Amino acid sequence: MNKNKKHAQIMENVVMAGFPSVADNYASTPLDLNELLVKRPSATFFVRAMGESMIDAGINSGDILIVDRSLEAIDGSIVIACIQNEFTVKYFRKKNGVVSLEPANENFEPILFKDEMQLQIFGVVSAVIHQFVK
Amino acid sequence: MIGLVDGNNFFVSCERIFDKSLEGKPVAVLSSNDGCVIARSYEFKALGIAMGTPYFKLKPDIKRLGIILRSGNHELYADISRRIMSVLAEFVPDVEQYSIDEAFIWPAYENNFDWHNFGIKMRSTILKWIGVPCGIGFAPTKTLAKIANHIGKKSSSGVFVMPSNIKNVIENLPVEEVWGIGRNLTDKLKRKGIYTAWQLASYGDEKLHKAFSIGVARTAMELRGFQCYQEEDINALSQSISYSRCYGEPVVDFSDIAESVSYYISRAAEKLRAEGQRASGINIYSVYYPEYKPYRLDGGMSEVIVPFPTSTDDTIEMLKAVKPHLQKLFKQGRRYKKSGVVFWGLERGAVQLDMFAPKINATNSKLFETVDKLNARYGKRALVSLSEGLDKKWLAKRNMASPNYTTDWNDIPIVH
Repeated sequence: MNKNKKHAQIMENVVMAGFPSVADNYASTPLDLNELLVKRPSATFFVRAMGESMIDAGINSGDILIVDRSLEAIDGSIVIACIQNEFTVKYFRKKNGVVSLEPANENFEPILFKDEMQLQIFGVVSAVIHQFVK
Repeated sequence: MIGLVDGNNFFVSCERIFDKSLEGKPVAVLSSNDGCVIARSYEFKALGIAMGTPYFKLKPDIKRLGIILRSGNHELYADISRRIMSVLAEFVPDVEQYSIDEAFIWPAYENNFDWHNFGIKMRSTILKWIGVPCGIGFAPTKTLAKIANHIGKKSSSGVFVMPSNIKNVIENLPVEEVWGIGRNLTDKLKRKGIYTAWQLASYGDEKLHKAFSIGVARTAMELRGFQCYQEEDINALSQSISYSRCYGEPVVDFSDIAESVSYYISRAAEKLRAEGQRASGINIYSVYYPEYKPYRLDGGMSEVIVPFPTSTDDTIEMLKAVKPHLQKLFKQGRRYKKSGVVFWGLERGAVQLDMFAPKINATNSKLFETVDKLNARYGKRALVSLSEGLDKKWLAKRNMASPNYTTDWNDIPIVH
């Protein structure tokens, strides 16, 4: 055992008595959540959902949402939109030229837009983080 | 061609990303300790209130004029800046950050390239992905790129490309608007009959060198389209305080990065002190080469943004603040091309005796003598040092600060 603290190296592959490991040929790095969930850090923001309007989409009050502003909203995307200076999370729907924001909860009403330009989309929600243990 | 990209009313634009109620309103951002105006929205400018106006002078008119003030939120601005620089690096191989919201870019394209379209694409990408509107100028030199940037900002597209007929563009430009020409110099130039940028450009470089300095001669050359300020030159002009150098040969050891950066900081701090300025923080960046063996890796840039505990011009304090962050610049296996440092949040003027700052300098006995005298006169611990804790509401010197939307989990925006 090397007691010399100056050489603090993490040995990823334990060398068995003189034999190099076959596993040395394979690069190994631990799984990284950033790599999985934040494809474009410069355009990615985090927001916190409040309320029940998207509960049927799997978004609970208090969940963190990962928002990617580089993505294009398409029919069925979950988006963050800005309405009367407040942020809201809803489904973006575009069918036959009609644009609307739909909740995922039968107790909430959709919001329709006469003119697509009126709808200010902040970004597309790419993932939701629901923590059981905080 | 060199490009200059910078955020419009940057601090205000950052505040507007997450607070849409600020759109279209007269908004200003205040310096540290809510001192004075350091950023204004167009609507605020239209009210005729100057940059640097102290907060106490504005206070009585806030309601009447409908102005909205924000305390500086430098953590937010630094984060947004980092994002913008990162996006620029996706468009061009070389990004030379110049201040918190400005960068010279060095695209690797040939002539006959559609610069205007390229600028529009970059601008709309930054606007969509981050939410900050920018001005972009392209020109053959840094000095001209600055001018192109200003023209671009005022144009509808936000982008301006300097045409080959430079004279047309700068013929009527007042000489004081040229990068590096300050008020003193302007007066001296006017006495020689130089009122416009073109007059400066065509005066005669030798004569300018003799009468003023090599810097002025270089500026004249740059105005005619001849590059004098290269990517790796010291930024010789007073509005920005930065220092960067290309390495003589690729650097592979962290200790060399750390040592060179420390040296750059002390040189840049000298400039800062020479101008009687203090900085609120510093950006440090290191650029690395792409690799081709054993497999392809993109080149790029690592950056750290370090706010100082209090605005300072003291090299030792800066090095202390920066030390724990230096490791983030370095990745083993990379070969480094250059490093640089850029101060931000510059404040001029007499030493601001910041009584609420943390006790940095051990020999601040004079300071605390004064604090004690004032406490005695006004009673009841009228002044305390920051080290005693921030929880006391009446101590708050950032009453109008926005949340740390992007750097604190407790402050991320709420969506319903």
